[in-house]
Formats: sequence, C-alpha cells, structure tokens
Amino acid sequence: MIRRLYRLWPEPKLLARLWLLTGAQAVLQGLLLAVLVPVLAAVIRPEPDLAAATPWLVLGGIGAVAYAVLSIIATPVGFKAAGTLAAQLRRRLMRHVSTLPLGWFTAENKARLARGVTADVGDAAHLAVTVAGPAITSTLLPATVVVVTFTVDWRMALLFCVTALVAYWALQRAARISEIAEIELERAAVGVAGRAIELGQAQPVLRAAGHAEGTPRMHAALEEHREVYREGMRRARRPFFVYTAVIAGGFVAALALAGELLLSGRIELAGAIALLVLAARFLEPLGNLIELIGALRAMTNKIGRVEELLAAPALPTAADPVRGIDAADVEFSHVSFTYPGGDSPALRDVSLRCRPGTTTALVGSSGSGKTTVTRLIARFFDVDSGQVRIGGVDVRELDPAALLDEIAIVFQDVYLFDDTIENNLRLARPEATWDELEKAAGAARLDEVIERLPHGWQTRVGEAGAQLSGGERQRVAIARAILKQARIVLVDEASSALDPENEAAITQAIANLGDDPDRTVVVIAHRPATLAAADHVVSLDGGVVIESGTPDELLRTGGAFARLNRQYERARHWRIANHG
Amino acid sequence: MSTATDTRVAAGSGSHADSDQSVGLAKAGALARLFAPIRTHLVVCAVLSTLSAAAGIVPYIAVAEIARAMLNDPAGAGAAIWTWVGIGAAGATVWLVLMVQSSRVGHYADAKILHELRTRIVRHLGALPIGWFRASGSGRVKRAMTGDLEEMHEVIAHALGQLTGAVTVVLVGAGYLFSVDVPMALIALGVLVVMGIFYRISMRSMTAHVNRLIVADTRISAASVEYADGIQVVKTFGTGGRVLRRFDDAVDEHTQAFAAWVAEVRHSSAASRLFGSEMAVLTAVMAAGLAFVSQGSLAVADLVPFLVVAVGMPNSILPAVTASQGVRKGRMGAANIERLLSRPPLPEPERPQKPQGHGVEFDQVSFSYDGVTNAVEDVSAVCPPGTVTAIVGPSGAGKTTLTSLLPRFYDVTAGAIRIGGVDVRSIPSADLLGSMSLVFQDVALLRDSVAENIRIGRPDADDAEVRRAAVAAHIHDVIERLPGGYDTLLDGGGGSLSGGERQRLTIARAILSGAPVVVLDEATAALDADSESAVQEALATLAVGKTVIVIAHRLHTIVGADQILVFDNGRLVERGPHDELLAREGLYARMWAAQEGVLA
Repeated sequence: MIRRLYRLWPEPKLLARLWLLTGAQAVLQGLLLAVLVPVLAAVIRPEPDLAAATPWLVLGGIGAVAYAVLSIIATPVGFKAAGTLAAQLRRRLMRHVSTLPLGWFTAENKARLARGVTADVGDAAHLAVTVAGPAITSTLLPATVVVVTFTVDWRMALLFCVTALVAYWALQRAARISEIAEIELERAAVGVAGRAIELGQAQPVLRAAGHAEGTPRMHAALEEHREVYREGMRRARRPFFVYTAVIAGGFVAALALAGELLLSGRIELAGAIALLVLAARFLEPLGNLIELIGALRAMTNKIGRVEELLAAPALPTAADPVRGIDAADVEFSHVSFTYPGGDSPALRDVSLRCRPGTTTALVGSSGSGKTTVTRLIARFFDVDSGQVRIGGVDVRELDPAALLDEIAIVFQDVYLFDDTIENNLRLARPEATWDELEKAAGAARLDEVIERLPHGWQTRVGEAGAQLSGGERQRVAIARAILKQARIVLVDEASSALDPENEAAITQAIANLGDDPDRTVVVIAHRPATLAAADHVVSLDGGVVIESGTPDELLRTGGAFARLNRQYERARHWRIANHG
Repeated sequence: MSTATDTRVAAGSGSHADSDQSVGLAKAGALARLFAPIRTHLVVCAVLSTLSAAAGIVPYIAVAEIARAMLNDPAGAGAAIWTWVGIGAAGATVWLVLMVQSSRVGHYADAKILHELRTRIVRHLGALPIGWFRASGSGRVKRAMTGDLEEMHEVIAHALGQLTGAVTVVLVGAGYLFSVDVPMALIALGVLVVMGIFYRISMRSMTAHVNRLIVADTRISAASVEYADGIQVVKTFGTGGRVLRRFDDAVDEHTQAFAAWVAEVRHSSAASRLFGSEMAVLTAVMAAGLAFVSQGSLAVADLVPFLVVAVGMPNSILPAVTASQGVRKGRMGAANIERLLSRPPLPEPERPQKPQGHGVEFDQVSFSYDGVTNAVEDVSAVCPPGTVTAIVGPSGAGKTTLTSLLPRFYDVTAGAIRIGGVDVRSIPSADLLGSMSLVFQDVALLRDSVAENIRIGRPDADDAEVRRAAVAAHIHDVIERLPGGYDTLLDGGGGSLSGGERQRLTIARAILSGAPVVVLDEATAALDADSESAVQEALATLAVGKTVIVIAHRLHTIVGADQILVFDNGRLVERGPHDELLAREGLYARMWAAQEGVLA
C-alpha cells in the first residue's frame, strides 16, 4: 500500500514527513503511558511518595510538550500534503494523457479521465492524509503499549499479543468479506438505476400499454434488488461484529488476568492497576482500526483507478523520427489490425493507395472497417502487421506531431471550442489573414451559415459547438482543414439525416477539398452524390477489401458497390405517401 | 467536504425555474418526512444503539472499579474483583448483542425505505410530463436513484448509530466521572470543551473557502474534459499547450485556494486537534489529579477512573464529527428526492372525453420551452383521418417540437390540439398514447424478451399476433436467427440488434398496437444503411390507412403527401401538396432545388 502511494507521487517526501510525524506522535503517546507505571508505583502505596514520582512527572511533562509541538507541526504538514499531492498528481495525469494515442480517447476513457483527475485524485490525496494518520496511530500506539507492558508483566503482554494477532486475522477477513459484499451492493445499485432510466425512456410506450408505473418485470427486479441489498448489508457487517467481539473478549480476558495475577500474589497492587490502565489504552485504539477499513479500501480503489490511467501505454515514438514528408500519398500494405480487447480483426491484409489530388471513398456496411482505415492513417492505433505509409514513410517512423500536422479530421462528432466562429477557425492557422479566412469559409460553404448567425464571425458557438447543427459543425471542420492547408483530409460523412441545405453544402464542400492537387482526401461515404464524385472507391466487407476502382468500373462489374448503388436508387424512389 | 455538496446543490437549484420551492423544502426536514414510514424502526434502532453504547462503556468502568476495589481494600478485594469481571463481561456481551440487534433493525429499515422510495419515485415518474424526462430528467432520476438514496442510506446505516453512540458514551461516561469526583470531572470535560471551541473557530469560514475550492474544482474538471473531448482538434492543430495551460492555471488556483484556507485555520485546527487528543486529557488528568492527591482532596483510587474512562472520551467523539457530516449529506439527498417527488405531475382531465374519430387538428398552437421565445408560434392545421401530412423545414424550425405536443410530452402554451374533436388535455393519457404510434429516432427497448417488447404495443395480443406484426415489420427473420428466438432477452440497449433492427422492432410494436394515428420521423429510415430498405417497407406497412404525421428530411420521400407543412423559425410559412409548393417558388421550392441538385 505504502509502496504504491510512493510510486504514485513524484515527491513522496511530504507524505513521508507527515507519516513520520504521526508515527512519532503515536510512539510518544505510548511512551507517556509508560511513565504512568513508575508514577502509579510511587503514589499507590500506604504513604504516597510524590517525591519519588517527580522525576517521572517532569519527564512526562517534557513528553507532553513535545507531543503538543509535534501536533502543531503536523497539522499544517497534513494540509499541505493533501493540497500539494493532489496538484502534483493532477499535473502528472494530464501530462501522461497528452502522450496517449488518439485511439485511447473513447467515451469510456474520457469519463474515467474526468473522474480520475477530479474526484479520484482529490479523494486519494485527502484520504492519504486523513485516514493514513489514524491508521498509523491505531497500529503503532497499541504496538508501543505492548512493549511497555512487557516491562510490567510478560503474561499480560502475551495476552495483548494474542489479542492483536486474532484481531489482525479478523481484520483481514473483514476487509475481504466486505469488499465482496460491497461489490455486490454496487452491482445491485447500478441495476436499480438502470431500471429507473429504462422506465423513463420507455414512458410513452409504457403509458400507452397502461404500465406507466413499470412492467411486472421491472417491479420484480426492484423487489429482487431489495433482497440482494438486505443480504449484502448483513454480510458486509458480520465481520465487523466478529472483530468487535475479539476486542471485547480481549477486554474481559485482561480484566480476569489482572485480577488473577493480583489475587494469586504474583504481582504488586500498583502493577495490577498499571496493567488495567494499559489494557484500556491498548484495546481502544485497536478497536478503532475496523472503522478505518472502509476508508482505506476507498483510498485503495481510487489509487487503483489513477494507476490504471497512468499505466495506459503512450504512443511509441521512433528513436530518430522523420520530421517531414514530400508528398501526401497514403498507402496501406498488408495491414491487419485488431482493436485492443477485440476478439476478431477489424482489418485483414488490407492494401490500398490514395494519391494526392484524388478523393477516395470508402464504402461498406457498418463494421466493415471503413472507420478503422481512417483511424490508422491518423495513428489512433498502431497496426498489428503490415504498414501504413504516408509519403512513403511508415507512420510509426514519423514524428507524431509532424504526422498530425499533415492531417485534418472531419468526423461526425466535430468538436468546437466554446469560442467564436472566427477563433475556432483560427485554431488551424492563428496568423491567417481575413482574406484566407473568408476563402476557407467560402470553400466549406460556411459563409452562408455565418451570414445567418446573429453576430456573424463573432458568434460564440456554445459549449462543444451546441449552437450549431451537426451539419454546420462539419462545415466548420472542413473550413479548418482548408485553412490549415492540411494535405491529408479524413472525412466521415454524417450518416444521419441532414436537412437538404446542409446536405448539399457538405457535398459541395467535400468536392472543393478534393480540388487541391496536393491534397489526398479519404471519405467514408454515406451519400450517393459523394460516391459519384469520388475518383476512387474502396469497398470493404468484414475488414477485407472486396473491390476497388473508379465508380464507373465498379458499377460495370456489378459487385457490392453496384448492389449498394441499387439500394440507394430504391431508397431514392421510396415514398412514405405512396398513394399520392 | 460535505459542505461542498451543500453549496453545489444550493447554487444549482437557484438556476432552475422549476425548483422554486426547493429551498423551503430543504430546510423543513425532508429527511424526517421521507423516513416517516420507518420512524418506529429508527426509534428502536436508536434506542438499541444507545443501550449498546451505554453497555459498551461498562467494561471500562469495570476496569476502574476493580482498581478502586483493590486500592480501597487490598485484602478483601477478591469477591469485588470477580463481581466486576463478571459485570465487565456482561457489559461486553450486552454491548455486542445490542449492537448486532440495532444494526439488524437498521438494515431492515434501510432496505425497506430504499425500496419504498424507489417505488415512489418510479410511480411518480409515471405521472410526470414525458418532455421533462427527455430534457433533463434522465440524469436527475439516476442521481436520485443512486447517489441521493445512497446518502440517505448512510444516515440510517452509520450516522444515526454513531451519533447516538457518541452522545451516550459522553453522557454515561460524564455521569460516572461526576459520581466519582466532581472537580476532576469538570477538568477532564473542560479539555473537551476547549477542543469544541477551537473546532468551531476553525470551521467558521468554511463555506466561503469551500465555495472557492468548488469553483476551482469545476475549472479543473472543465479543462480536462475540454482537452479530452477536443483531443482530435488539440492534436491535429497543436493547440494542446493552450488547453493544458488552462488546466495548470485551474490546478494552481485550487492549490492557492486551499493554501489560503489552511493559512487561516492552521492555528485553530491544530489547537482543536491537540485538545481533542488522548494526550491532552491524560496530561490534564495527571497534573490535576496528582495535585489533588498531594493536597489530600482526592483518593488515589479515584484517580484511576479518570485514567481509564476520561482519557478514552476523545476517541468516542471523533466518529460523531464524521456522522454529523453524514447527516448533512443525507439531508441534501433527501431534499433532492423530495424535490423530484414534488414535481407537478401532468394534469389528468377531470372530465375525460372520448375522441370521435382520428383526425388531428392544430388550432392556433403556440409553445415555449423557456417562457420567453416561442419554439412554435400560432400554428393551425388540420390532418384528416387517413391522410399523410409531412412537416418540413430547416433544423430548428420547430418540426420536432410540434410533433412532441401531440402526445403531450409538453402541453401547449396557447391554443389547442384536438384528436377526433377532443382537446388532447381532456383525453386520459393512457388513452391518448394508446391512440398513436410514435416512431422516432431514439428507440426505447425494455430489458425484457423480444416477444414482450413487441407485445407491449398491445398487452393482450397472443403469440400469433406478435409474430404477424414482426413479419409485417420485416423483423421476423432476424428474431428467428437470435439464440433464443422470440424469448431472447434484450439488455437495455438492445445489444445484439443493429440500429435498423431495433428500429423495426419498435415498428412491429406500433403495427401490433394498430393505433389510428402515426407520428414518425422519416430520418428513422436512414439510420442504418444496411437495413434502410427493410425499415422503409416496414414503415410503409405501418402507415396504411392511418392519420400519418411525418417529419421529413429527404423531400423526395414525401412528394405524394396529401399536404406538406413548411416551417421556418417556429412558424408555418407554406402549406399545400408538392406541386403547388413548387409552383409557389418559396422556401420549399428552394429546399427542393438544393436537394435535387445534390442528387442529380
């Protein structure tokens, strides 16, 4: 545990200092209890002899002052540790994430990152300070008391040792059992929440069917969750009682032993009293340990999640990367690739070539590998075998920044920063002139959108571009690509319905992109018009290239592309209102 | 950090127009009201844990009393010692047994109330306007069902017992100590009072500091989310530095805010920690005790109870501090849940009426989401039974809003919508929704078998009818290929089915229901290139003979519609059949030209 914390923080010194201070306080506290032994011996006699106790009292006084000083020093150190550790870990996390391949940034991982950087890091740092302290006290103080007890009576000390051992066993067991039970409880809670969401989303159909309050199956699920929950809680608490019973048993045994030792005359009265006081001070902190278990586990879980984020492998870079390319050819030679965690390959032995000045359309059903091809070009992931080459250079040999310099991506979920249209475009080239901005906007058919917006170029697009429709955001992305003068543009055409105006504009904008003789355009095509305008069509199925050629050639051969085209034709003639 | 949640919730509630009563509710003991059904259990649980805590202190008292017995009468202490060992053992046993019992009652009450509240929330959802749920409710409900309930559970499971336990230990312990020696008891408890004072001082300015921290936290989170969401842009345009700088600034701000707080409270919180330690009590007890012993005003025997019982007290108080934070969180959770439960349900008609026929009429309908601007304004149109009405227009023109008024996802702000001559607000909502099939782009499948997912369209349909509907929706073959056929269980997302297949499943549901009014989004048919034509055929089957209202994007699909309503900016700007609209050379004609230009 401690080793993991150390590895996690670049400057573990702060934590070490805090823990040392806490540990010193715990030991000091145990030693001060030791002072009680001679003091009690001095006063518990027929004629109390305070003079004999004085040196010990002075020692105790010094100890108490030292404890107070340590306490005053430790408090700000604890605060500082919590603050600094969180800040350091946050920076470390973000720096690490910025080295990860684009493919890492899935919705799930993004959610993990957001949670990790705020809640997990903050809580882990907070807990490392607030829980580790009491945990150290609850361990070191009883340990010190045991040592002190040995100086009074070895039998009682032995009893303490046995109690501690049994308590340790019970603690381990408690940790294990409640962890399992809590996982079950968590699963039950998630299940219940899922049912609730389902209930809300299906409201129209449920109400129409007279099940506004849920189907019998939903209610059965809620009922079942109640049972799982009740049982889970019972199980989670049981080891807690076992532990408490061990402590209580230790208590009674210590009472009996002290009485027996005194009555059998094997120990002095003062010694017996001291043993009783030590027993109380030994068992109480030990008993507190069980209360810390939950918090310690929470800390471990959070640290585990942060570690997982830090363990995501960064994009490997070549020792002596190539910094630039001459021409923007894109070439796949015998590329095979399986997604991390996937069981079947997304691409198998794919070879294709896209030349500058041409537009290549990728077609195929969902899951055929179209998107994977574009992702491998931008090196979201590295291939398993074969090569992806840009301008004749393996993308793995290229400097990652140089590679992304050449590329512009126009995917379906275009992200815009919450800023003005102008600034969102200028990202691509901050020094661009007005003339260039307007030209890019024109070529991307963004000019007509800007014209319509209340503040023109200065309109803010809202968080993640929410003020614009999906089609309009794609037009912004195309304008950025043009302004950036990217030589490779990867486009994933919107597959969902666009209104006619946007559809026409985007088709036109993609055509404009392809007009540059130095530019290679690869488009995942969903619309017949885009297909018809492509220079080259690559048709994929199940991760394999099944045909490629010009649209006309493929139409003539009558393969998959021709079939797709017929479907488009049929869809074109579909009428909802077929009796008109 | 419980106050963090406090303030966040408080800040959030102010911005919602609909939660005006929330502040009042939060203050008026939502927790007590929601716990009403288990009040008896909670009282029993609290009494048991009080008794348990009182018994728990008995072994400590036994230690002290054994010591006193030994000191007061060293020769004849034997019987007294064994009596007290027995009492101590009995105390420990009762402590344990009552703790288990109290926890059992607590857990029983816990599971019971969580179940009851979940059921109540579920019931209430069934009565809320669907529009609310679509707009913002999903997240709200999820939070209520998990986080908020979890916090209330903490109150029952831990906080209640810890609080009553701590109070009992302090009271019983103090009572015992006062019975032994009053001046010593005053000194020992005085140390704890000093701690309490410093604690209050250190917490004085908490709210302001916590607010600053929350702001910084939000910025950190926003910057990291912005970086991750915009990662393609960040990397391909090399703007990572700028975003990372924003992140660093936020982290710095957080560190500074924290440091400022620490600088202010370091002395008071160090003092409260010091006085709340066993060492402080031990030192005070030893110093005062020995002084009194040397003066002869305190017997040595009476010093021992203070070494054993008083020194342990700070340990018992600490859990109470955590517990009171837990109660505060629980209160917030309860307030959130009560706010959800007090959302006004969709008003049901007092005098329900039956529609006469299936024609749909929009009569000067206006609707506003925010009460300021109208998303739909003064729309009047008639859709006779058995005809197809198409709604077209640029995005944001109000097409979707208008169609969501018909099933009362929202109620109109002005005007009226009638089905068969009856205002939709006068039709019981089950009848209203039963009279129409809604086929939109977002598909809601139930976590139930495929057959049940279709049957929910008409719960009394037999298996043969379910199959016929599936065949008509072109989904029967797909279902037959599933591992369990019609009995295959679907998970919430529809798992093994593709988007188009899930779509056809909901169409089968609609076909089975036979509802006379069909509202559909034509884009539904374009979702999935693979099964587009199958979906189209299914939709065509569904539409036969119904009053159809369709939101259209690809204009060629609605060339034959009986009437086309063209919307722009929430207003109905043109209407008529295709040919007439083309001849008018207005917005529709322009849209048509744009689209045909692409396709040509």
